[in-house]
Amino acid sequence: MADWQERITRDTKPSIRVEHDLRYAAAAPFVAGAATWCDLGCGTGVAAADALGDTALSRVVLVDADAGALDQAGRDLQAREIVRVQADLATDEGVAAVRAALGDGEPGAITCFEVIEHLKTFVPLVGALVELAEAGWTVVLSVPNDAFWALENPYHETMWGEGAFDELRRLLPAGAVVAHQVPLDGSHLVVEGHDGPLELPPVTPRPDAVPSHFIAAFGPRAGELASRALAIPSDLDGRRTWERQRESTLAVLEAELEELRENVRWSSDEIARLNAQLGSRSS
Amino acid sequence: MNVAFLVNDLQLSGGVGVVVEHARQLPRHGIDAVLVLAREREDPDWRFRGLGEVEVLSLSQARERRFDVALATWWATTEPLFELDAHRRAYFVQSLEDRFYRPDDPQRLGAALSHDLPLDVVTEARWIAETLEEIRPDLRALLVRNGVAKDVFASPAELDVRRTEPLRIVIEGNPHVWFKGVGEALTAVREMREPRHVTLVTGVRDVDTAGADEVVGPLAHEEMAALYARTDVVLKLSRVEGMFGPPLEGFHLGATCVVTAVTGHEEYVEHGVNGLVVDWDDPRGTSRALDLLARDRALLHRLRCGALATARAWPSWEQAGTVMAAALREIARRPEPAAAPAAARAIADVRAAIEAQALVVGQRDRLRYRVVPLERLDRVVDRAPLRWLLAPLRRIWRRVRPT
Repeated sequence: MADWQERITRDTKPSIRVEHDLRYAAAAPFVAGAATWCDLGCGTGVAAADALGDTALSRVVLVDADAGALDQAGRDLQAREIVRVQADLATDEGVAAVRAALGDGEPGAITCFEVIEHLKTFVPLVGALVELAEAGWTVVLSVPNDAFWALENPYHETMWGEGAFDELRRLLPAGAVVAHQVPLDGSHLVVEGHDGPLELPPVTPRPDAVPSHFIAAFGPRAGELASRALAIPSDLDGRRTWERQRESTLAVLEAELEELRENVRWSSDEIARLNAQLGSRSS
Repeated sequence: MNVAFLVNDLQLSGGVGVVVEHARQLPRHGIDAVLVLAREREDPDWRFRGLGEVEVLSLSQARERRFDVALATWWATTEPLFELDAHRRAYFVQSLEDRFYRPDDPQRLGAALSHDLPLDVVTEARWIAETLEEIRPDLRALLVRNGVAKDVFASPAELDVRRTEPLRIVIEGNPHVWFKGVGEALTAVREMREPRHVTLVTGVRDVDTAGADEVVGPLAHEEMAALYARTDVVLKLSRVEGMFGPPLEGFHLGATCVVTAVTGHEEYVEHGVNGLVVDWDDPRGTSRALDLLARDRALLHRLRCGALATARAWPSWEQAGTVMAAALREIARRPEPAAAPAAARAIADVRAAIEAQALVVGQRDRLRYRVVPLERLDRVVDRAPLRWLLAPLRRIWRRVRPT
């Protein structure tokens, strides 16, 4: 069963969190030295805080449509100034609000991870990002490869995959740098008494590996986007709890559904019976 | 923002249908779109979905307006494109149309030359974008894949398993159009050994349809969707395609496909995953592939499930409209393509055409030189005094002489 976790929280399962963490880690070199960093669709800011929590940042512009998430975002960041903008990035007004918040100062970096697929239209946002890149901003964005699994995510307004990403790529500046994010499988073995991190062996990318996400960077510093990998231990305990909770909730909902269906059947039969009675009386 | 799509006519064709769909999607993105007829209406318009929602102008009406972007949509519409007052001109390329014509057809050159023009390009298939970028290294083609009308070609939640009925095959296309491969498809189904039911969808009737159990059409999209829902396999042996829409529409209703490796198939057909790809000029192999599907119902069901999964991942017209809107805004934003490289390409192509024509003329002259003695003989044989003497010889000569 698909597991829709569109908002990253501390309870999000590690396999999804590590994907977000890696994207922010990949953007960290642009973000760290930027006069202004803008995180579009920042959510609660958990992944950004994991990757950038210790980094001294200048001006941070956090943008999201959800006021509640926006309120939490940025609490763990070490920034000189944090500006929060609640905006719908599918609208010209929302995009204009972001541009206004960025101001006319020195261009910096923009991250836009897992946002585009949520927008009813991405035309205003993509147009603005291309213009901002021309004005000196470096932009890093990502979209998921839903098409490979034919996942019909109820939270996604558009379906993304290799073909859709190629459409997007051709709208971006010619020098855009593209990366494919691929999940890793792994395991660790820890001797009792061991303390501290483990060194992981080098990972050899498979040339034909199907990506889970497509990343594009464009703007003056796009060439600095580097290949990298990140691993965090699985939380089997949490996963088991989550999956059992989901299964039990599903079972309850299915039982309720069956009950409702039974009610509908009974009501339909009763209506038919009453109609028949009415028919026989009128005749 | 306002845009004009130049179309040759509004007759039934996949290409015109795509343009109409884009034109009706664009207003959602703040773009007014009109269709401009590049030539006078001769026949009534085909009942395209949503055509009534789109303004249609004659060329003379369009000349009186100014557009932000004007797009040619067929090679012959590139000429009137330059008659329109537009901030930017572009070319919506749906196929490399020179391939529609035989090598000795002069229209082939006309279609090929249209790709030399200094126009931005929007196209619907990656193979077209990549080919044009090879021809024009200065070009960065924009890609907008055709959407599918998800409300019309509405996919079922799950597929029924079909175990016993004859294999239901649909062949679609105009048999008079050489590159559609309809004749080859009929040959392949005729050579099948397993039970099947073949439906040929075409608007023409004056053709040999041996091999088809029924001939229907032309069909509206809703009727095609109903037919695909009853279909196991879409058989399409085309030699030239742009985006290759029909099998994809079949996928949405759970029909797999047997196709040649025609351009466009690589975008969504995966051999053994959602369809079967057969060799060129191989009716026997195609028949065996169809027989296999008729016998092996587990394979048929697996391919049908794969087809349905592919369909679910394909963009809707709404998504395609979003990408088209972004592409048009990008065209309006970009600087105009440089004219000098275009002129150089056009001159080089015209020169190549002149040389090819010179070869043809040279061959014709050599042939004429060789025919001169024969023509003299012809005149001698036709002279009255010799007629009666040479009558038997004349009869033979008339049979063999060049005409």
